[in-house]
Amino acid sequence: MILLESHSVIINDVLTDRFDKPSRADIQFVDYDNVRFHLSTPSSKSQILLSMGIQCWPDLVKYGAREHLQSEYEGYWLSEQDTEPEYNVSLIIDLEKIPEGVDDRLALISKLAHLKSTAMSSPFLSAFAEQASLQANYKDAAGAQAKDLGEQGETKGDLKIVRYREEEAIYIQASNDRVTVVFSTVFKEETDKVLGRVFLQEFVDARKLNALQNAPQVRYSNREPPLEIRHLPGLHNGEDWGYVTFVLFPRHFSNSSQAQSSINRIQLFRDYLHYHIKCSKAYMHSRMRYRVAEFLKILNRAKPEVAAERRTATGRTFRTR
Amino acid sequence: MSRQAPLVIDNGTGYTKMGFAGNSEPSFVFPTVIATHQSASAGSSNNSGGSGARAPPPIAGKPSHLASKRGIEDLDFFIGDEAVANSKTYSLHYPIRHGQIENWDHMERFWEQCIFKYLRAEPEDHYVLLTEPPLNPPENRENTAEIMFESFNVQGLYIAVQAVLALAASWTSSKVNERTLTGVVIDSGDGVTHTIPVAEGYVIGSSIKHIPIAGRDITYFVQQLLRDRGESAQIPPEDQLRVAEKIKEDYTYVCQDIVKEFKKYDADPYRYFARFAGEHSVTGRKYDLDIGYERFLAPEIFFNPEIYSSDFLTPLPEVVDNVIQTSPIDVRRGLYKNIVLSGGSTMFKDFGKRLQRDVKAIVDGRIAGSEERSGSHLKSSGVEVNVISHKRQRYAVWYGGSLMASTPEFYNVSHSRVDYEEYGPSLVRRFSVFGSAV
Repeated sequence: MILLESHSVIINDVLTDRFDKPSRADIQFVDYDNVRFHLSTPSSKSQILLSMGIQCWPDLVKYGAREHLQSEYEGYWLSEQDTEPEYNVSLIIDLEKIPEGVDDRLALISKLAHLKSTAMSSPFLSAFAEQASLQANYKDAAGAQAKDLGEQGETKGDLKIVRYREEEAIYIQASNDRVTVVFSTVFKEETDKVLGRVFLQEFVDARKLNALQNAPQVRYSNREPPLEIRHLPGLHNGEDWGYVTFVLFPRHFSNSSQAQSSINRIQLFRDYLHYHIKCSKAYMHSRMRYRVAEFLKILNRAKPEVAAERRTATGRTFRTR
Repeated sequence: MSRQAPLVIDNGTGYTKMGFAGNSEPSFVFPTVIATHQSASAGSSNNSGGSGARAPPPIAGKPSHLASKRGIEDLDFFIGDEAVANSKTYSLHYPIRHGQIENWDHMERFWEQCIFKYLRAEPEDHYVLLTEPPLNPPENRENTAEIMFESFNVQGLYIAVQAVLALAASWTSSKVNERTLTGVVIDSGDGVTHTIPVAEGYVIGSSIKHIPIAGRDITYFVQQLLRDRGESAQIPPEDQLRVAEKIKEDYTYVCQDIVKEFKKYDADPYRYFARFAGEHSVTGRKYDLDIGYERFLAPEIFFNPEIYSSDFLTPLPEVVDNVIQTSPIDVRRGLYKNIVLSGGSTMFKDFGKRLQRDVKAIVDGRIAGSEERSGSHLKSSGVEVNVISHKRQRYAVWYGGSLMASTPEFYNVSHSRVDYEEYGPSLVRRFSVFGSAV
């Protein structure tokens, strides 16, 4: 409805169907951010091959995506040389070996449907781990001097860059007390640009509400990249570009389920933003249509009535009103 | 970077079929319905009044200043199966009527969720193929293009006529040896059956005929037959329609001779009568019933409509023949040669065979008549009649779209974003067919 779901509906539907009744399949579909999927049964009905191609795979591999996926999808994972050509990841599901219980099956389906978000979560997870170690070291090393060092004493991890779309990227940086996530996004159209700016400003303002005090801090900068990433080469400055910064504190990823849900939400941020820009355009269109209909009514009322003379059967004339 | 697969969305009156080009089946098939939080009274005025008398879109708070419009009412809606599931608390709206989009507000929001929630595609990265019914007014095409380009910023758009796509889908059949876009499409869904003649990719609008008999009528007829034979006493009343539908889908077939079929059933009922086993959805009570003559009588209403209705009495083969006879004379041969079935209600076993036989009989009768009238001086070389049924019949329109959109030529014939910005929505009035598409 308002939020987008983090799993792929197609994987979910197809697998639910196939787990009940194995049959042939050969489906290609996509997900956000240039992700391609191919679900097929190459050898027999009971062997489902699910392949995923991600544009930013080289980036993800750098941050341990392969190992992360391998451990998440233990038993389904195909090694690199068996991966389907043109795709980055392949999983094979043997329908004769899937768990029997209904709940187990649902869990498996949901896990497989989250393939994309699992793959994308590896840089976040490694940043979280880095943050934890930085925090621990910070205490050990600095110890009593921490107070004296003050603000300058913070230590920073590597800047992780995931180029998830052609021109847009996610920058993740861990430091001793927080993880900073910066999105760069580009608006292709004039209207989108304006709406996008309003929206992003709104995000910043919304945090002032009392109910949202625990939400991650959001900053938005237009045209100029934020200081965290300003030193990077090849950044765009311009009207079309927006940078959104989220600051995640340890409480946002203290336990694994919380961390996962934070990651899922943050990943979808760009799509969410663009979805809502489109929705608000649709809303405005519906207001416009309503207005036009109202104005037409007024115009129709203003039409001068044609007072024509008419004749009755007996030959007398009368005026219609 | 390689181009991403185009989205293929076929919005029908009853069901929306959507998926990605290059697949053989749509990824999603669900009712074209949207559940909004509008009050029921506003909903009913929508239905009766058309676009003129419409409740304003909801605004939270006072409409006077912008800051108070912080509501999310416009986002509070469901589509498809979820809409039906939520029908108790929301009011349902059907944005498409008789194949044409009636309520653009609802349709725009319907597409929003289709693309973002179900297909999970960023429309800015994709081309989109939409379908339209024959005789769709150009204003509707313009509105569609406006929404697609202005709201969704799609890369490109192609609006195809459903009948033409159904013809393209028939190319998968082994019976088809030349790929032509000339033929008669018999499109039978749930509500109405259309017979649409198409010549070289253009619909012959003046000859289209509609038959008010389709899937729903067959279901009602099955139900009526069951009731007449007293079988329906076994079925719980709330399940009757569902059971009738199940019987229609699983047990029926088209027979070649109705009298012979009756005799066959009477001679050996144990062989031909089928059993249907059902279970009461609430109490779990088991029941089973015999399925008899309705197995072949149900689809028979296409060929002998008098057994079902008293309003419409022209059999389907005759309608098809009429349609072709009213078309321009130089395409008639092509039309007879290529009669294509599409839609779920043409899926009955041997439907195509029977239709072909009956149309052929009409045509041969006419030829024999004119030969006789000419005093046996002129001999006709005969007219080839071909009814083509294929595996993808059920979602033929969608499949045709998927086929078309996966060819490289698709990108040349569809309207691109650059063109739209140059010419505006009137762009889509220009109609380009996939000439020699493949």
